[in-house]
Amino acid sequence: MVFLCNWCATLAAELAGSNRLAYPAGVRVVKVPCAGRINPLHLLRALQNGADGILVFGCHPGDCHYAKGNLLARRRLSVLKGLLEAVGMEPARLQFSWVTASEGSRFATLLDRAVQDVRTLGPNRKFVKNPAAAG
Amino acid sequence: MTKMQDAQNRLRETVKDLFAQQKVDLVVGFEAGSLPLRTRVCFLTSADEADRLVWNAFCTNNPAVYIPRLFQRPASPREEYKPPKLGIVAKACDARAVHKLLEEHQAPRENVTIIGMPCRGMACRDKVVIQAGDEVVEAVESTEGAVEIKTRGGASHRFELQDLLQQACLDCPQAAPEHVDVQIEGASRRDTTRRYEGLKNFEAMSADQRWEYFRHELSKCIRCYACRQVCPTCYCKTCFADMAKPRWTGAGDGLSDVMFYHIGRLMHQAGRCVECDACTRACPVGIDLKTFTRKLGKDVERLFDYVPGLRPDEAPLLCAFEDDDTEEFVTDG
Amino acid sequence: MEKGIIGKSELAKLVEAMAADATCLGPVKDGQDTVLAELGPDTELSFDYANFRLPVKRLFFPQSEVTCVLRDGQLVALPPPDEKTVLFGVRPCDAQALPYLTKIFSDEKYEDPYYLKRRENAVIVSLACHTPCSTCFCTSLGGSPAGRAGCDILAFDLGHELLLEAETEKGKALLAAHEALFAAPTDAQVTAAAEQGAAAEASMAKIETDGITEKADQAFDAPLWEEIAARCVACGVCTYLCPTCHCFGFADEQVGNRTQRVKCQDACMFPLFTLEASGHNPRTTQGQRLRQRIMHKFSYTVKNVGEIFCVGCGRCVLYCPVNIDLREIIEEVRK
Repeated sequence: MVFLCNWCATLAAELAGSNRLAYPAGVRVVKVPCAGRINPLHLLRALQNGADGILVFGCHPGDCHYAKGNLLARRRLSVLKGLLEAVGMEPARLQFSWVTASEGSRFATLLDRAVQDVRTLGPNRKFVKNPAAAG
Repeated sequence: MTKMQDAQNRLRETVKDLFAQQKVDLVVGFEAGSLPLRTRVCFLTSADEADRLVWNAFCTNNPAVYIPRLFQRPASPREEYKPPKLGIVAKACDARAVHKLLEEHQAPRENVTIIGMPCRGMACRDKVVIQAGDEVVEAVESTEGAVEIKTRGGASHRFELQDLLQQACLDCPQAAPEHVDVQIEGASRRDTTRRYEGLKNFEAMSADQRWEYFRHELSKCIRCYACRQVCPTCYCKTCFADMAKPRWTGAGDGLSDVMFYHIGRLMHQAGRCVECDACTRACPVGIDLKTFTRKLGKDVERLFDYVPGLRPDEAPLLCAFEDDDTEEFVTDG
Repeated sequence: MEKGIIGKSELAKLVEAMAADATCLGPVKDGQDTVLAELGPDTELSFDYANFRLPVKRLFFPQSEVTCVLRDGQLVALPPPDEKTVLFGVRPCDAQALPYLTKIFSDEKYEDPYYLKRRENAVIVSLACHTPCSTCFCTSLGGSPAGRAGCDILAFDLGHELLLEAETEKGKALLAAHEALFAAPTDAQVTAAAEQGAAAEASMAKIETDGITEKADQAFDAPLWEEIAARCVACGVCTYLCPTCHCFGFADEQVGNRTQRVKCQDACMFPLFTLEASGHNPRTTQGQRLRQRIMHKFSYTVKNVGEIFCVGCGRCVLYCPVNIDLREIIEEVRK
């Protein structure tokens, strides 16, 4: 699952697209107004629903459209990542990157690399919730 | 007269004074419990009840948990809000929790009188039972630093308090309660050098081992929410775990739902947990919650030089930011 | 076969034989605790325990289970699991609670197949207590450390061997099916067991419970509820650990693209227990909730199904995080 903030991250993604750089298969994109909008519970829900990896792209600190959204996100998400890794989640499954609107190819590289990292790890079995057998 | 009884008497006299001066109309403290190794929280409304108060190595509960409830506003705006003038008997961890709650506007500062106790640490019930090897039927803190117990099988034991201390006390960042309104005289624990020693085993494990430990511990969870309910800084009227719209997590004891609840609670405690270990003591199935809360606290301290409740004037952790906050979690490229 | 002696060292053979057509669970050490866990060929049974932290009701009334799924727009009930089990090492207090629960989950109008099927498929082998804890008070509520109610077989720990006494046809059938592994008990052994039971009973302090139902009714408006509940933190420990508590709720959840209905244990001590869809909550104070719990157990169930819903196992006393003591409440109410 890829979370893109509506400003730098989305523009970077669109720039990548307009340069005909393709998304790898199996990537689902969710647009949020700002990385600071992301509730850690959203990311846990994604893991519970079977996401094998989660990437969050936001504006560089200092460039946030809402002035401090990503600065608040920075603390929150660093704590979340630390906690999940402390209980044994592989670090590559949850990644964060800051991009500017003009970094189309950097965005694509980061995304490709992250997806590759997750593919190497295999499916997320630790947190996923399985439905009851249909009987 | 033992030193502990000294402090107990000083506490009782202080509380009587506070009532007499009308500085308080409600005092929350500890009184004798109905089981060995236990005390219980009591609510006193007058000076003549003050002799119920006790102070010993079994005063483990965190009384700050009652603050949000005691200062709750009435449901109807037409009803007059009559907050108590609260006196609260506090160990160092309790005082940190009180300050966190005050910072979060759970009570008006002028309505709370924190009575700091000379805390030398509390006895861990599990440690006593393990060392005694049998059910404990009687326990007394006698001369300073010793706990004397009798077991069901008739044996008597004398243990040094130092050997029985709870992990929370070994890890306490304070030598004595700080930022209190009234300090009861007496010797406190001075040793703050063993902070995070208890985490060494867990941190030394590989990621797979840590996962297995986490999974094994949490697989015991029965979703009783004792951890949440005794926690002084968990006071949401409707916890995320109980919400149906949106349904963040299932209500059952399936492992994925249990993990979601606990990780979610830990995230909500980031920068707020005072590491009093009330959650671990309350858990009826013995989940080692303190390892995870301590790990969270250690990361927060390392990354942001922040210890909840230690410096009451500091901005809350997740409501603030610094320009040089850590970037170590960011993937560059 | 009605009675049999088996050496503790031979139990593994019995478990192996029973495991051929049933899942066997018994007391197994897990760190400092003893839990009721599945027995494999090499699992060592523990006899050095007071009681399991969690009540045996969970084997028949689990904390959560999926009861229905949505299929093609229809709500389809899932069948209850149909698996035979043998539960070994159940304390008499937990066993005593099972017939009480059966009265709740099965009456003239309604039957709960999820509870009943599991109960039907289980053989309960109780293990009498030789050293009750100071927090146990089964004898104050019609039970005994060597109580026979609710089990299929009552076992006594005689040191090196166990004496098993069948209490029901199911119990007799189990003993008969594995007759070869048992020896006939001597008179001395039977006497030893009876004496152990009597000694255990005599060692327990009794609390007075006469007239508790009437007294509870009279105490409905007494201030004692708010006083005691002042320190209650509204968790579910007492409820979830109680062998007789049985309230449950349903939650619908979406998992991936499936929808399922989950039946979960619930607790009247939770503030949200009585929260209505309108937002109104008839029980707003913890005193009202505590009163409800006590009245339900000591008055309402007596009127509804003829039993006090307490077996004196002492778990609520031992594990309450704030030391609310049911024995004290009973004493206060009787005043």
